[in-house]
Amino acid sequence: MQKFLSYDRGLERFNPLARVITYDDFDTGFNGWLDLTPNYVYDNYESFPSVVDLSSWAPNQLSSGAMRFASSHGSMEGTYSLKLTTAPTGRAHTEPPAPGSMGHAIKRLSSFGNPSLIQIEAWYSYTPVQDREGKGEEDIRAIGFFFDVQDPEYRYMPGVRYVNSLGGQLVKKWQFYQVGPDVTPEDWNFGVADGWCVPGIDNQWYGRRFADGSADGYQWVPGGEQDLLYNESPDKINWLYLRLTVDVEKREYVELQSMDKVFDLRGISPTLVPGYHSIDNLINPVFFVETDTNRSVNLYIDSVVYSTE
Amino acid sequence: MRISDDFATLAYEAGWATEAVFFVQTEGDHPDLTVAVEVSPDGVNWIRRAGATLPASQSLVDVPVASFGNWLRVVITGATSEQPARVLVHVNLKG
Repeated sequence: MQKFLSYDRGLERFNPLARVITYDDFDTGFNGWLDLTPNYVYDNYESFPSVVDLSSWAPNQLSSGAMRFASSHGSMEGTYSLKLTTAPTGRAHTEPPAPGSMGHAIKRLSSFGNPSLIQIEAWYSYTPVQDREGKGEEDIRAIGFFFDVQDPEYRYMPGVRYVNSLGGQLVKKWQFYQVGPDVTPEDWNFGVADGWCVPGIDNQWYGRRFADGSADGYQWVPGGEQDLLYNESPDKINWLYLRLTVDVEKREYVELQSMDKVFDLRGISPTLVPGYHSIDNLINPVFFVETDTNRSVNLYIDSVVYSTE
Repeated sequence: MRISDDFATLAYEAGWATEAVFFVQTEGDHPDLTVAVEVSPDGVNWIRRAGATLPASQSLVDVPVASFGNWLRVVITGATSEQPARVLVHVNLKG
């Protein structure tokens, strides 16, 4: 069979690998991106014990980019974007994440076509809720993305985090997911000796966090300083481009591209852990946003392309 | 969610929907609860729109709303530290 493919014009603003698996424009719904919840499989529908409250992350929404003083932005192209938000529940950045202080969106996929490379691309924007005076940029702690991958041998989470602000001080530097040396399971689980999560899994909320913004689960991207655009007021959003490419054959990072800046991450591995039961061939892309203070902050995603090669 | 005081869900954008039904479900013992759906012009300031009661003898109540604009939330009152409640809030949206 000879195939002729005609691509949606919207793909012009992306650089996908050879095979586009999903192209999600949230004008047509959630496209399978949903809230991240724990496993409610214990008595009384409880989940496993954790210092981090995994059950109260804020809900995802289809947003028209409505702002208190600036009408509605719509999305980059169209009306709706996927909005990740947080509760107004920040605490010190050296502490475990407070209940509701993060928002996550996950798409549950599996490996298809025996790829050697996987890639996520997105156009996104971020802003705090306009519930008080001021510029607001310093209230957004971080935005991030990671893949949750399991192949026949290992589970691992290649991901990136843009540390925007800590304790009200702008940082504006990129990190990648990799566990530092000598991190114990107890360290990882914030002191719980028999904690459920092993180091290298769920870096976005586990692993100790330190005053300078370093953490057990994150390493600074070499030369990773980047002054991302924040347009002076909580009610003005501009759309930004992100790309993360991962070599799943070598289990290594390839590149992080943020706007026109490309960070070469070749030769760097995420932390490999033994595979979990019954999730072989898993590939889940996940976005998240974190608040730095007692203020809800939002991450808007206009559209996402997941591609492989 | 375990509540032991007045509780409000986060501001939820649902401008794409034309109708919404909130369900508030309890798990275990709870006091008489009052459930109110609120609407907002901006997700910050709120007006009460519709309500229902969930007596201690029941575990599920629904509150339908329409023509609500862009923003919705649910406020649940009646829980105290002496008489807490474990609640599950669902919203079904169509548009």
